[in-house]
Amino acid sequence: MGMDMKMAWRNVWRNPRRTWLTISAIGFACIILIFMLSFQFGSYGTMINSAIQINTGHLQIQAENYFAEKSMRQVVPEPGPVIRSASGIESVQAVTARANAFSLVSSDNRTGGAMIIGVDPESEAQVSTLETLVRRGEFLTEAEPASNPALIGRLMARNLQVGIGDELVVLGQGRDGSVAATALTVCGIYASGMDEFDRSTLHMPLDTFQEVYSMRGAVHEIVVKVSGLNHVAPVKRVLAKRLDQMPGGDSLTVLDWDELMPGLTQAIKLDLTIGVIFWALLVLVVAFSILNTFLMAVFERTREFGVMMAIGTRPGRLVWIMLYESTAMTLVGIGLGIAMGCMVTWIFQHIGIDLSGASEILQQYGISGRIYPQLSIITALAGPALVLIVTFAVSLYPALKIKSLKPVEAMMHV
Amino acid sequence: MDIKIAWRNIWRNPRRTIIIMTAVIIGIWSMIFLTAFMRGMVVDMIENGIATLTGDVKIYASGFRSDPALENRIRNPGPLAEKVQANLPADAHMAARIRVSAIAQNARHSAGVTLVGIDPAEEAGVSFIGDGVATGQMIRPGNPVDIVVGKALLEKFETKIGNKLILMSEDAAHEMASRAFRIRGIFSAELEATEKRFVFVSKSAARGMLQIGADVSEISVMLENHDRADAVAEKIAAAIDTEAYEVRTWKELKPMLKAYINIFDGYIILWYLVVFAAMVFGIINTTLMAVFERMREFGLLKALGMRPWRILRAVLIETAFILLIGAAAGNTLAFSMVYAIGQRGIDLSMFAAGFEYAGMSSVIRPEIFAGDVVLANAVVICLGLVVSAYPAARAARITPVEAMARN
Amino acid sequence: MKRIFAALAVLMCFAAAGHGRINDPDPRELVKGAVNYLRGKTSQAVVEMTIHRPDWQRQMTIKAWTEGRENSIFWIAAPPKDRGNGTLKRGDEMWIFNPKVNRVIKLPPSMMSQSWQGSDFSNNDLAKSDNIVDQYTHEIIDRQTHQGKTVYVIRSLPKPGAPVVWGMQELKIREDHILIRQAFFDEDQELVKALTMEKIEMLGGRLYPVKWKMQKADQKEEYTVLDYQSLEFGLDISDRIFTIASLKNPRL
Repeated sequence: MGMDMKMAWRNVWRNPRRTWLTISAIGFACIILIFMLSFQFGSYGTMINSAIQINTGHLQIQAENYFAEKSMRQVVPEPGPVIRSASGIESVQAVTARANAFSLVSSDNRTGGAMIIGVDPESEAQVSTLETLVRRGEFLTEAEPASNPALIGRLMARNLQVGIGDELVVLGQGRDGSVAATALTVCGIYASGMDEFDRSTLHMPLDTFQEVYSMRGAVHEIVVKVSGLNHVAPVKRVLAKRLDQMPGGDSLTVLDWDELMPGLTQAIKLDLTIGVIFWALLVLVVAFSILNTFLMAVFERTREFGVMMAIGTRPGRLVWIMLYESTAMTLVGIGLGIAMGCMVTWIFQHIGIDLSGASEILQQYGISGRIYPQLSIITALAGPALVLIVTFAVSLYPALKIKSLKPVEAMMHV
Repeated sequence: MDIKIAWRNIWRNPRRTIIIMTAVIIGIWSMIFLTAFMRGMVVDMIENGIATLTGDVKIYASGFRSDPALENRIRNPGPLAEKVQANLPADAHMAARIRVSAIAQNARHSAGVTLVGIDPAEEAGVSFIGDGVATGQMIRPGNPVDIVVGKALLEKFETKIGNKLILMSEDAAHEMASRAFRIRGIFSAELEATEKRFVFVSKSAARGMLQIGADVSEISVMLENHDRADAVAEKIAAAIDTEAYEVRTWKELKPMLKAYINIFDGYIILWYLVVFAAMVFGIINTTLMAVFERMREFGLLKALGMRPWRILRAVLIETAFILLIGAAAGNTLAFSMVYAIGQRGIDLSMFAAGFEYAGMSSVIRPEIFAGDVVLANAVVICLGLVVSAYPAARAARITPVEAMARN
Repeated sequence: MKRIFAALAVLMCFAAAGHGRINDPDPRELVKGAVNYLRGKTSQAVVEMTIHRPDWQRQMTIKAWTEGRENSIFWIAAPPKDRGNGTLKRGDEMWIFNPKVNRVIKLPPSMMSQSWQGSDFSNNDLAKSDNIVDQYTHEIIDRQTHQGKTVYVIRSLPKPGAPVVWGMQELKIREDHILIRQAFFDEDQELVKALTMEKIEMLGGRLYPVKWKMQKADQKEEYTVLDYQSLEFGLDISDRIFTIASLKNPRL
């Protein structure tokens, strides 16, 4: 066995030029796959994170039917203990509470419907990117509650024909059915790049919201940010368990970003599926490109195999030697490919790839102009694994050819 | 003569030739077919975007785009429409419509919609509603009660054809106007959002309800070729009063689509180069093998006085054969697959929500663009010949002595 | 004796004519009479509104002035938190006033189908309650008795082209013009919600339904009850009360 491997290794380097070309082909495929997969995952990560950061957060705790019915009365009655409990979980980075109410918003000239969102300025800034999306004016502050600040979207500002410092009147219905009304002063205007969000949302400080809408301390959503997408599932489990033990916790539920934004994961799966088809075809092209090398390695040495068989080597052993040879080449190619692929990806992971020419479409998904490939065990190994499997399958054909060789005829071969 | 020899040479080792050809075939096929597939998605997005009441070129009163309120309508549109019509190519279609946000309501439900007043005949070839309805009948021109709604809206409102739908909106005098319509037909669109957003009534019904005389909100123009939008828009802009009116092309109205196309064009070139690179290793290797096997032969030819460039040419012709045959087969395969799929398309409705998210329909009809095919073939054949120049040059450089020395 | 004869004759007529009883009053007049009876030419009332939900209930007191079928204005008097909130209705249009922000807002069309103050009445129910008379054709389909008085069951179908959402309304009107029940149906003739008058007493100098209950079909625990505390008719109300300026000055 050891000797066979040694022999195979020597055989590989009999024709270094050919071997290098084959190795390069395999390595090239690995580099491309690692880079492109990392790129895809990076853009998904960016996409998910942007959407999460603008809006939903990684996890939300809500009343049982709030997500489906969005009724004002389905509240988290006492957010305090829930927030404390969630904050205590490891890998939870920040927790904030929000309350929502659909209301009438009117300026001097215009009136329209809007989703009024009460946020806690301090913790909101840690959970979402809302603060960084403010393009004009400034973010909500708690320092001056008397001024009743409101933060509105770019398109809402346009539709209501208001600017910084203008007054808006909000009129809706409180949690207890009472009239909720207040006058707000526009303190800032944000642009998230998502038209729907910019058109239909208004943010105000949570304590004012609770007072205006008679929330009696209740909120609608407790938004949790964890330190990474991979922490979502474990934190969700822990949260659900803790809620169960809490008094009144059984009327609450934990939802993750996937449940909060159902279209997003499917869009990602779709893109990934298309990507996989592309890369599988690429690997197939590579496989056929290198099949000739493997085949030639057999045919060139038909004579040699004939001799070996004549002196008593069993064809099975020759098949193994051939497989060792092709596998050796494949492994070297894959090893180099992984090393270089990871290096290239790593470099781009740090400098980012500028897609500013396409910024508008990316904004729609909440992606900024720059994408950072995301190298991971999966992206580094999935592509090369595919290459390994396909290449191995391809190398079986020439190797099994050996079995059909007849020693005498083979020796006659030139 | 050289060609005949080259042809024979490539079939000296048919297995090898067929394998490398297979690589070329798969390569070219995947380039053309997958591009057609992706193009199908993009074209679908564009067609959807343009046909969803955008049009290639749109004309409206200044201010309407930033504030699509009834005040910013085109008053007395007759002369304007004539000027626009006069500056259109013969194959273009034009439609003027009224568009205003409204509330649709029945006994159980109510929702915000966009009320669009149209002339069905005019919309043919301009917007998706011109293609008619999926179920029931199209609204009749001038009819005061006919309304056509989307399938999704119909389901949301738990109603059916023949039932009443009340629409409410502010009229020109800012008074509340409400009117009862009767659902005459149902349209279906690629996107659920479209089906929920638009309801169509006759122009005269919309004008009567909104009290706007003969005015319209916008004039939309559809061209045979979307690429000509800029030229046509310029021509129209030159003919009309651009203080009072704005002329916009779909690229300006749907900047996101334009951006997507730009990304996509870049992506195609990248994909072609990557696939080609995967083939290159095989092409070089195979050609090298073929050359080295025949070193003795080349040496002999050299000794007999053959010029190096003729050897170079002979090897290149061989590669060219492989590339051309591979390309031909790859093209044929790709074309016949696209043809076979045809208008039925590939149904990927398992990702329906994902497509909806991206603004596409889940049935993809691959679409072959001449430019892509030319580019794919050019990349493979030209660059293929360029890289095979290396083994060919090796063959041409061989000296008789060197060749004889080889075993 | 004569009366018995007359009654017999009437009965026979009914038997012969089925639904179309010739001696019935004009159904449109009945409906118009009922609406006018409820409103009077002018009226001023104090009403207690109770919104009932499975897990919760809320009460408020409303002071209202009406003039004919066109105009009305009302303010919330209690609870103190909501005191002063007003609604003005003129024709099809509505304005609301909130004392805290001291602003009057005209309701955009998009809000007209929303519920009024969280009740089971929509803004439209209030703004368009009078179009039952003009936008529908009425037919008496049955007669019943209620507290010894004849009740006409009227089926009201919207006129073609009438901008109303209901497919049908069924009204029960007593011969003394008192509306007993108003049921709202969709176009498939399925009940959507119903307004039932539960108690009829002397109020404001006439017999009046003092307890109204609006309930959605199939929702036993979701309803809104209006309970009239006081009512006066025929007051001399100045036209100026039904204006935006007056809306800002709650008469409480």
